[in-house]
Amino acid sequence: MVRALAYPGELLRGRAWWVEGGETRVRIGQLCAMLILFGLAYGAVMGAFGGFTGDRIWQVWYSALKVPLLLLCTFALSIPSFFVINSLYGLRDDFTRVMRALIATQAGLTVILASLAPLTVLWYLSFPHYNLAILFNGLMFGGASLGAQVLLQRFYRPLIARNHRHRMLLRAWLMIYAFVGIQMGWVLRPFVGTPDAPVQFFREGAWGNGYVELFGIIARVLTG
Amino acid sequence: MLESFRQLDRILRGEATQLSKLRHGQIELPVRGLLIAATVLAMVYGVFMGSFAVIRTGGAGEAWMQLLASVVKLPLLFFLTLLVTLPSLYVFNALVGSRLTMQSVARLLVAMLGVMLAVLASLGPIVAFFGVSTTSYVFMKLLNVAMAAVAGFLGLAFLVQTLHRLVMAQNPAPETPETPESPEPPKPPELPASMPPPPPHQAYSAAVTSEDAMIDRRAKLVFRIWVVVFGLVGAQMSWVLRPFIGSPEIPFTWFRARESNFFLDVMQSLGQLLGA
Repeated sequence: MVRALAYPGELLRGRAWWVEGGETRVRIGQLCAMLILFGLAYGAVMGAFGGFTGDRIWQVWYSALKVPLLLLCTFALSIPSFFVINSLYGLRDDFTRVMRALIATQAGLTVILASLAPLTVLWYLSFPHYNLAILFNGLMFGGASLGAQVLLQRFYRPLIARNHRHRMLLRAWLMIYAFVGIQMGWVLRPFVGTPDAPVQFFREGAWGNGYVELFGIIARVLTG
Repeated sequence: MLESFRQLDRILRGEATQLSKLRHGQIELPVRGLLIAATVLAMVYGVFMGSFAVIRTGGAGEAWMQLLASVVKLPLLFFLTLLVTLPSLYVFNALVGSRLTMQSVARLLVAMLGVMLAVLASLGPIVAFFGVSTTSYVFMKLLNVAMAAVAGFLGLAFLVQTLHRLVMAQNPAPETPETPESPEPPKPPELPASMPPPPPHQAYSAAVTSEDAMIDRRAKLVFRIWVVVFGLVGAQMSWVLRPFIGSPEIPFTWFRARESNFFLDVMQSLGQLLGA
């Protein structure tokens, strides 16, 4: 148990892999397992807003599944174009390192999220308002993303030192990932689950487009 | 088939357009293989693009026709754009004093097409994901325009860079022919956004005669202007060949009437999306 927890600690300190006999060793499987495990943990807490009685327990399960799903699907959709762009900028030889850094960052993100879970529990217990719950979760995700940013910069530092073009590509990655991730989050709603509606994996009518909604809101604000 | 993708990969990685390979102003590119790879990639993106119509209608007969039309038209769009712009590139190229043959220019453009389509196809999964989760036709239209713009930008950056290198290879600085090429490590393709001009030339810049420098500067300017022309032609070509995505309000046709233009429609779509 202690050993299992030691690895996430190492990860947060920027040591997701190590060199052994001149070869870099990394536990990609362990990183993925960590991503799923900690993602499940935070998701479960997130979905516990409506309690555990009756149908509500399903929301806990659904939300738990959705957090790793959100990260993994976004990653899978974004990586092909990033691969091609990396090749085009002459960085193909570094791509295994890039992949490693990106996966480790996402694993780190879930670890940070999970560490924030107790705060979410306290919030749920103190404020029983649905909108506040959503806001608070947004805040937690925002905080975790900031933490993950720090981690990503740390993982990318040796790459940037090898070739300064990595710096620009890192920005490109963040743009692609955020663009897909926001819509993925929108599609996978509800994460918290309003207590007034029945429990469901996908919200009815939620199969829309977050950006279109956002533009609509902006337009309404601008036109009064 | 696999071989043609391997060739494309060499171009993506910049192996095929290293300065040392361009020394004599020749481009050795397997055109046929590249054409195959480019066509396949264009069709793949066509599937992603046309899938929106199929998903939106739940697979009605007309929607499948739209998918088929997108798959056929996408390679057409790129090859026709190439055909329209090839002569002008050759002429511009000659104007700035390069001795590239028409054949070399054509090869170069095919390589650029390969780069563009590789980027475009790799963005396809994102387009398909939005197609699945969106009902807004306007959004899909603008998303596809944005994706094509990204692909176009990277492809043209590749082209400008390679052309620039070709001109350099043909007008070498006095010292460069004598210096052996072997110690020079293979250079990845350097794109304008990120780079100072390639090193060999710069290293001898003090010795370059002013005439060479002039050619260099003029070539760069002319290529940049031409790139804008290419972008405009490609955009309008896509308008002429529409529909690619398939408006939900208009029944399927292979082509639409001659009206409006690409840029007007993009502006209108933006307005629509913002609810104006």
